[in-house]
Amino acid sequence: MKTGFLDLENWREIGATLMRNKTRTLLTAFGIFWGTAMLAMLIGGADGLERMLRRNFEGFASNSAVIFANRRSISYQGFNKGSGWSMTTADIDALRRIEGVDAVAATDNIDQLPIAAGRYSTTTAVQGVDQDFMKAFLPTIRSGRFINESDQRHKAKVAVLGINVANKLFPAGNAIGEFVNLQGIYYKVVGIASQEAEERINGEKIDDTVTIPLSTLAFAFNRGDDVGAAMLTALPGWSPGKLKPRIMRVLRARHPIHPDDTQALFFFDVSEQFAMVDSLFMGITLLAIFVGIGTLVAGIIGVGNIMWVIVKERTSEIGIRRAIGARPLDIVVQVMSEGIALTSIAGTAGIVFAAAVLGVADTLSGVRFQISFGTAAAIFAVFLVLGIAASIIPSLKAMKIKPIEAINDK
Amino acid sequence: MITLKGINKTYFGAVPLHVLRDINLHIDRGELVSIMGASGSGKSTLLNILGILDNYDTGEYLLDGVLIRNLSENRAAELRNRMIGFVFQSFNLISYKDALDNVALPLFYQGVSRKKRRLMAMEQLDRLGLADRARHLPGELSGGQKQRVALARALITNPSIILADEPTGALDSKTSCEVMQIFRELNADRGMTIVIVTHDPGVGEQTNRVIRIVDGRIAPDQ
Repeated sequence: MKTGFLDLENWREIGATLMRNKTRTLLTAFGIFWGTAMLAMLIGGADGLERMLRRNFEGFASNSAVIFANRRSISYQGFNKGSGWSMTTADIDALRRIEGVDAVAATDNIDQLPIAAGRYSTTTAVQGVDQDFMKAFLPTIRSGRFINESDQRHKAKVAVLGINVANKLFPAGNAIGEFVNLQGIYYKVVGIASQEAEERINGEKIDDTVTIPLSTLAFAFNRGDDVGAAMLTALPGWSPGKLKPRIMRVLRARHPIHPDDTQALFFFDVSEQFAMVDSLFMGITLLAIFVGIGTLVAGIIGVGNIMWVIVKERTSEIGIRRAIGARPLDIVVQVMSEGIALTSIAGTAGIVFAAAVLGVADTLSGVRFQISFGTAAAIFAVFLVLGIAASIIPSLKAMKIKPIEAINDK
Repeated sequence: MITLKGINKTYFGAVPLHVLRDINLHIDRGELVSIMGASGSGKSTLLNILGILDNYDTGEYLLDGVLIRNLSENRAAELRNRMIGFVFQSFNLISYKDALDNVALPLFYQGVSRKKRRLMAMEQLDRLGLADRARHLPGELSGGQKQRVALARALITNPSIILADEPTGALDSKTSCEVMQIFRELNADRGMTIVIVTHDPGVGEQTNRVIRIVDGRIAPDQ
């Protein structure tokens, strides 16, 4: 059936009626505007927070755990409660033999040492890593290469500079092939690396660290066989949690640790953290949608309310229209288009506002908070449907107005 | 043009009110008729029935050969739009639309394109000497001008009849005369069938035939 929905007159009328009471229209529109903006900002905010938290773990193999020796919490075999112990390179080899273990990356680190190259010098953290490091931790290699198995076996005097260290020591660029002086020993620079994650295994981020082979570090700094910490990755089908009892059994066999002492080994299960983040943000996203839609519904009810008042106010006008030939459907279309116009304009403004706010959040955090076009389109669809729903009751009321009642209603 | 046979109408309130009793009436094409009666005589109800704004209980109403009975809302609206031009006492113009848009409104409901209906509306206004008031809102027009705009709106669909409910009720005597003059001209020059409901004998005198309603019945012609 032909209706005047698309006729310019219809839209001019909508403009005219909405503009007749500007304050009321503005307040009603604000309800929608705010509801939509809240929905979009909450969804974007939840996603952005998730990305921020995930960034901390970026570069970690997700099926991994960080372990290091802790103080004993139970006295055992003459070792007092509170006494320390150390993992050794032999422990690492034993752990590598456990079924289900993919790689064990042993690391050790030394805080803040002076380092020099030519006339530039700075202080830096130093970490020693072995060939398994690249399996557990995924640093970004800016140029050159990372420490490999050959370096480890030969105690090679090679170093991978963190990007920040490289920039301080070689401001002119190209550090590869140059030498750096660390405690009187010269190391050849073979690579420059950085990391995406905020999380660090121990000490500084790779960006602010000089990485050398673990064997070289042990030798140069008299560390003996001790290993500071290890990062362990599980094979597919295994998880660090599942491997934990086996790891504990191996370590207890090699060190005097009480069978009930669960504190003596620090065990940080990255996969558990991933799972936790997953379920946490599933919850947060659901909450965001719930609260956002709730706010939007409150705004939409405001629209329904105002449409009802507008219909009341215009009873006589609607009667005149009916008398001169408007069909009930024409009246429904007229009232509905007003409700839809109001929600569409205010809702779109809300999305635009939220996009601007999320854009600022993007810039400030360096993480994407912005909602996708698909999400925006979905929000648009939601408020359009709700806007139509809210206009139905008032427009049905308008439809029932009889021309005779309305004309006599003076 | 209009034939009423045995029309009865009762309002069922707390006390049933039998407002129209066995109305028989015939109005020919090209007549200028007034329906007169005291307040509460049933003349407004008769006008509402003639204007397809209200239903009747028993009887038969033929408008231009069409039986008006048990119509759907849509059909009633369509017939009102195409066959009847209304003129009301209080003009009933839409306050936020200018004269041109008010006159064009019935064509909007016919689905006539905006350009065409504005052209036709301008033509109507021009005929009634209001071309220079086309862009004015009703609030900026005098009573006589408003009623002429309302007349232009009634005429734009080229209806079978013009139904006027106290068209001079809100006007001073000089303007009333002008408006009545227009009705007479429309009737004389264009052969419009016009029915005017009024309680003003001065208006009745200017029509060619007066139908008197007393207590819901048509009084015999004098």
